[in-house]
Amino acid sequence: MKEKNNKTHTQHRAKTKNLIIIGVLGLLIVVAFMISMNTGFIKLTPLEVIRTLFGLGTEKQHLILFEFRLPRIIIAVLVGMGLAVSGCVLQGISRNALADPGILGINAGAGLAVMLFISFFPSTAATPVFLLPVLAFFGAGVTAVIIYSLAYKRHEGISPMRLLLTGVAVAAGISSAMIVLTLRLSPENYQFVATWLAGSIWGSNWKFVLSLLPWILVLIPFVFSKARVLNVLNLGDLTATGLGASIEKERRILLAAAVGLAGASVSVSGGIGFVGLIGPHLARQLVGSRHQFLIPAAALTGGLLVLVADTLGRWILQPSEIPAGIVVAVIGAPYFLYLLSRLKD
Amino acid sequence: MLNNKKRNGIMSSFLVLSLSLAGCSDSGENVTQTKDNEKKPATEELSTERILTDAMGHEVTIPANPKHIIASYLEDNLVALGITPAAQWSINDGAGLQDYLQVYLKDVPTIPSELPFEVVASFTPDLIIMSSAQEVEGSKYDQYAKIAPTYVVEVENNSDWREKLLSVGEIFEKTDEAKQVLEVYEKKATESKKIIQDSIGSESAAAIWLVNNNFYIVSENVSSGAVLYGDLGLSTPSVVKEISSTATGNWSAISLERLAELDADHIFLINSDKGNGAEMLKDPVWQNIPAVKNGHIYEYGAETSWLYSGVIANTQIIDGVVESLTK
Repeated sequence: MKEKNNKTHTQHRAKTKNLIIIGVLGLLIVVAFMISMNTGFIKLTPLEVIRTLFGLGTEKQHLILFEFRLPRIIIAVLVGMGLAVSGCVLQGISRNALADPGILGINAGAGLAVMLFISFFPSTAATPVFLLPVLAFFGAGVTAVIIYSLAYKRHEGISPMRLLLTGVAVAAGISSAMIVLTLRLSPENYQFVATWLAGSIWGSNWKFVLSLLPWILVLIPFVFSKARVLNVLNLGDLTATGLGASIEKERRILLAAAVGLAGASVSVSGGIGFVGLIGPHLARQLVGSRHQFLIPAAALTGGLLVLVADTLGRWILQPSEIPAGIVVAVIGAPYFLYLLSRLKD
Repeated sequence: MLNNKKRNGIMSSFLVLSLSLAGCSDSGENVTQTKDNEKKPATEELSTERILTDAMGHEVTIPANPKHIIASYLEDNLVALGITPAAQWSINDGAGLQDYLQVYLKDVPTIPSELPFEVVASFTPDLIIMSSAQEVEGSKYDQYAKIAPTYVVEVENNSDWREKLLSVGEIFEKTDEAKQVLEVYEKKATESKKIIQDSIGSESAAAIWLVNNNFYIVSENVSSGAVLYGDLGLSTPSVVKEISSTATGNWSAISLERLAELDADHIFLINSDKGNGAEMLKDPVWQNIPAVKNGHIYEYGAETSWLYSGVIANTQIIDGVVESLTK
């Protein structure tokens, strides 16, 4: 009896600690948000930013904050969240620390769909923006189905390792298809696609926010509601089946959710890699691997990561801008190598 | 000169559309414009605010006497019409400029070619002109339009600089000036054509661009090719004709082996590799091209106007060609 009490007590303590960490992450996003609002070619003092936020700024300040900086900041946070949660789910269902929508070829699939669209309907100026997430989801979905069916074996189901290897192979194939396609593009379209592929979110506006928001608002809570299932899947297929989870079905549903999140995010942000990998990893180090905490923590870490990357990218080489994807990659690549080196041991 | 007939048709229908001028409009959308106008001195000049329809179908309110204009990569046209823009196109943090225009744009600050919103806004322009729809891709148009009225000149970036000049002239109510500039150009071209024919007869020529150790050759009907073969009537070498028929851009990559077959009597070489030693020019294959062997090669730096298109660029090209071929 006493022992049990103790156990719930430590559990309770861990829970409080995790909630505090999640709260701190949320606070950091707010801080990054304020800094990002202050960062840009046109200098605004923090006071001016606050005045403008409350509707007291000049017309120009209003324009800069509400039309140029704010949508971009929101997009950065949403994309970060989407990719990180997607990565979190993929790592959960594949039980592989290296799974990530980028590595699995889902980003590439979404990118290919968007690129095909751009090359066949060149004047995207007239393209309804909300179509892009749908297209990207379609591309990501097709890729996921291909990977899944290639990795599936009738009696063994999906082995996590095979899922990952197939993903890497398919991603390589799609990337080369994209390169072939870029060769056929006109220089102007190529420029657009190149910036898009580099993961620049500089063209973002409220329309992009509106086209991405529903996906994030529906899918992240959905994934969160499946936190228990993810915990069980983490124990391995045999244990999970023993505990009564219908593994393949749950895995498929979660995979679809992960694909949706990644596809929608990639459609507005372009190729921002590594967030889906690093976000969940950092979060796991902070709050452990129980998905009830891991998912919100990963979402916040991912959002913070992309927001900071985009802010840095706007600040380093003013007035030119470094695409957020490249900044994330610069931070992400060393971390990825570090992960790999630890895995070897 | 008669290329792009279809496009001309489309463009002229746009022009007709654009002609449907309106005086002052007081619809809600124009609030910012009217405000901008208030800032201006009260000296009422002849022109008034007009509404034009741009190539993408936007109704654009062109302010009366715009003062701060951003028209990135259209500077040639502005300068030709006597207009100084508020900022000029640049790449690599202002390191890359349209060098040939710097006589006219010496004191004009630079703006990155990708036109970041905030940088554009920092110039408080009262009119933004975009050369093609690609620059406002992904619904960026709406955001630029919030900074200032934004006029898109073309849907696809085509190579007809004459149409571009006329469109820009139309925006500033300078159609007559634009036509005049064109007349002067055509006259100069005709005269130069005669001078060249007197000097070299019907010999052929090609323009080759060397950059990063790669050769590119200009197509027959675009960019400086349109000047050489169209305006100046130089004969087109068969290699150029062949390449032009499949070319996608203005300049097409050409291998050294293919260059060896180049049957041009004269070569205009635009050398962007000057600082880097230009190893390719020491290659025996290059050395054995007939025009090179005969010394009929004329070298120009990357700062010349050969890589650009526009009335000023082309006039400078013509001056260069005449000088080179009448030595």
